[in-house]
Amino acid sequence: MNWISIKRITNLGLTNFWRNRWLSLASTLVMTLTLLIISLFVVMTIVIGKTTDRIKAKMDITVYFKDSATTDEISDIQQKLAARSDVKEVRYISKEEALQIWNEKQKNQRIRELVTTDENPLPRSLAVKAIDPSNLNNIADYLSSDDFRSIIHKISYEENKQIIDKLLAITSFIKKLGTFFSIIFIIMSILVILNTIRLTIFTRKQEIEIMRLVGASDRFIKVPFIVEGALYGFLACILAMLLLWIGIGLITPLTNQYLGETVSQNMRNFFAGHFGLILLLQFLVGILVGIGCSLFSIRKYLKV
Amino acid sequence: MIEVIGVSKTYGEKILALTNINLKIEKGEFVSIVGPSGAGKSTLVKMLICEEKPTAGKILIAGRNIVQLKSNELPYFRRKIGVVFQDFKLLPQKTVYENVAFALEVCDADPQEISDKVPRILDLVGMLKRKDNYPDEISGGERQRVSIARSLVHSPKILIADEPTGNLDPVNAWEIIELLDRINQRGTIVILATHNKVIVDRLKRRVILIKNGQIGSDKYRGGYVI
Repeated sequence: MNWISIKRITNLGLTNFWRNRWLSLASTLVMTLTLLIISLFVVMTIVIGKTTDRIKAKMDITVYFKDSATTDEISDIQQKLAARSDVKEVRYISKEEALQIWNEKQKNQRIRELVTTDENPLPRSLAVKAIDPSNLNNIADYLSSDDFRSIIHKISYEENKQIIDKLLAITSFIKKLGTFFSIIFIIMSILVILNTIRLTIFTRKQEIEIMRLVGASDRFIKVPFIVEGALYGFLACILAMLLLWIGIGLITPLTNQYLGETVSQNMRNFFAGHFGLILLLQFLVGILVGIGCSLFSIRKYLKV
Repeated sequence: MIEVIGVSKTYGEKILALTNINLKIEKGEFVSIVGPSGAGKSTLVKMLICEEKPTAGKILIAGRNIVQLKSNELPYFRRKIGVVFQDFKLLPQKTVYENVAFALEVCDADPQEISDKVPRILDLVGMLKRKDNYPDEISGGERQRVSIARSLVHSPKILIADEPTGNLDPVNAWEIIELLDRINQRGTIVILATHNKVIVDRLKRRVILIKNGQIGSDKYRGGYVI
């Protein structure tokens, strides 16, 4: 392909975009919506994923020991636990540390002063974190075995089991739901944009016919439409980014009010920090979808 | 130059559009293909411009069987023939000049060639003075002239006109036919598919009658007889 034809073909695409500006506008707007929906869902899935990961990271089992248990016995259990493949971390909490935590957490001074260094009923404990929180169950079972019964006072898991199980179920449900809706919306958006571009091309059926008639090669017919498709994607990407920016500005007061300053600050930080990535993603998706849909739609008009 | 050998065309299983057509057209000939509607004229024209492929038989143009052309060879074949239609098929958003130039642009012609050839061909069809008008600003007869100019601009050896006068009044129609005649005298083969009796009778050139998908008669200096 020489320089003159590249110039001609590109010009043709740009001119067509302008001459059919209403249809171009429709396609660009639909594409903008597609990009917005895709970005929102991707961001939502990431945020939900991060939140559930954070919740999961906080889940643990605490084993409280009887005061009669010796330090050796406790460190033996600690080593055994640490050797398990499903355990991520085992932390020993001494009586002194337990007191410190008590002092930090207990706001009521009178209650706080009930426990002192000299009179400390707080038990020593091991805080166990699993690599996968759903394995906490197995670890709890292991600790409940007869071998350890004599020295273990209580396993916190028993109490928290229901909450942990529920949290696990909810987080996995939200993740699945988010992914499911993202996929559905992405497919729907792509179908809508495909249809819009097909319509654009359909209205120019005669033009394609004439081009073939005067001996235009397939490439000469195809490329202007591809240029147009890419242009839809490019403009839609800019529009979507702009709308996203305005949208965040608009909902910030609301998120401040309902979710607290930190959450909305986090959200804005996420967008600011990933601005380049989001832009690149939208740009790529926009242009690929535009070109892909154009290529797919024009195929049928190129057959003899 | 053009040889149609044993060409048949069926649509589906039952509709026989053409049966065993054989004909030969030499260089410089002016051939009218006539026949009632539905006789198979358009099917024959469509096969000559490779718009459709015959179910059986061969079509040789300059010794090459166009039935076997691959889809990537088609554009190059189409540049060697000019085609004119009843509905002109001009691009409405382009001016007269741009419509004609477009046919050269798609063939990767350089700008110098375009600015040389387009005014000359527009002058030949008498449309130079209207070069900056859009198709909807000119009359039917003028549009057909532009369409002819477009089909001739890459100097094809063959010009195929499918009912070029179908949408025109008798005066305009005759002017178009005279234009085709003039083009023929410059050495281009002209194949004219029509059912306009007056035109065919006045032309006194070769007439091929298609009837029920077969060649009914093939007469030199013939008239329109069904």
